[in-house]
Amino acid sequence: MINNKLKISEAATYLGVSIDTLRRWEEKGKLKSLRANQGDHRYYNLAQLEDFLTASCVSLAIKWARNNVGEKPNNIFYCSDSSVFQGRLYKLRNALSINKEIESFFSLLISVVGEIGDNSFGHNLGNWPDINGIFFAYNIKKKIIVLADRGQGVCKTLKRVKPELQNDAEALKVAFTEVLSGRAPESRGNGLKYVRAVIEKNPASLFFQSGEAELNLNQNNLILKIKKSKKFIQGCLAIIKF
Amino acid sequence: MIIDIKKFGAILTSRQLGKEALAAYLPNLNNISEFEKIYVNFEEIDVFSPSWGDEFLTVLYRKFGNRLILKKSSNASVKASIEMIEEANNIKFNIE
Repeated sequence: MINNKLKISEAATYLGVSIDTLRRWEEKGKLKSLRANQGDHRYYNLAQLEDFLTASCVSLAIKWARNNVGEKPNNIFYCSDSSVFQGRLYKLRNALSINKEIESFFSLLISVVGEIGDNSFGHNLGNWPDINGIFFAYNIKKKIIVLADRGQGVCKTLKRVKPELQNDAEALKVAFTEVLSGRAPESRGNGLKYVRAVIEKNPASLFFQSGEAELNLNQNNLILKIKKSKKFIQGCLAIIKF
Repeated sequence: MIIDIKKFGAILTSRQLGKEALAAYLPNLNNISEFEKIYVNFEEIDVFSPSWGDEFLTVLYRKFGNRLILKKSSNASVKASIEMIEEANNIKFNIE
């Protein structure tokens, strides 16, 4: 990479696709390279590739969470530990602080993101099944924030303190309605309950999946409806729209 | 005694960091008199969460009871977090 310009092979590695895919994307106008003439070598700007990834961050997060085999996500989305996540939360704060539309619930939105991310680290510390850390991305233009982890999931975590839990749906219900912690013997664990209280009172929505159970929350949807997901994920996936 | 929460950072959302903040601050409270009140000031805080607050405020409440006084804040995340901490722990902070 020279002056933040990547050759096609470097761009392919960066995006996790083949060189042929990049050529096809160019033909279809999906991702254009930088080249003055048809026969010249293709180059890509790093910022251009970051924008391209960010535009599809939700689908990338879903794919990453659902994959049978765990792989580290692209560095721009990957928070390997809680200190990286904390740093990126400040970046999100800075990006959102200029948005006057959400001024009234700006602090609540960031605190909800912080709670969900912190939950992933707190409940999986030392117990990550394959990939440590979380996928954390946002697209300010589309007003969307996504967090995912490949941790143990809500059910397994809560079963430590509530062994009678039968399935993911029951576990999600408990997590979003009861004050309980999976980190026994600490009598804490109000994170997702807080998330629910904030989402239900503000112009935002939340999709949350763990295992094979999922729910949608928003101001007009105050009854907690949990349904079976079409595809299983081992950890948690949260998509916030605002 | 006044605890300025902003001295711990502008975004306080992590349970682990709440724990560390308390551990670092507690020695300051070793020599306060028996009747001295402890005021907690949330001015200039951007983002607060129940996790951080639970590790910090709940422990101080258990130690000092109503001598711990939370100063009223207009920050929505501070207000919502305090409500959640109170509900989760079945306590009522002294708020002025």
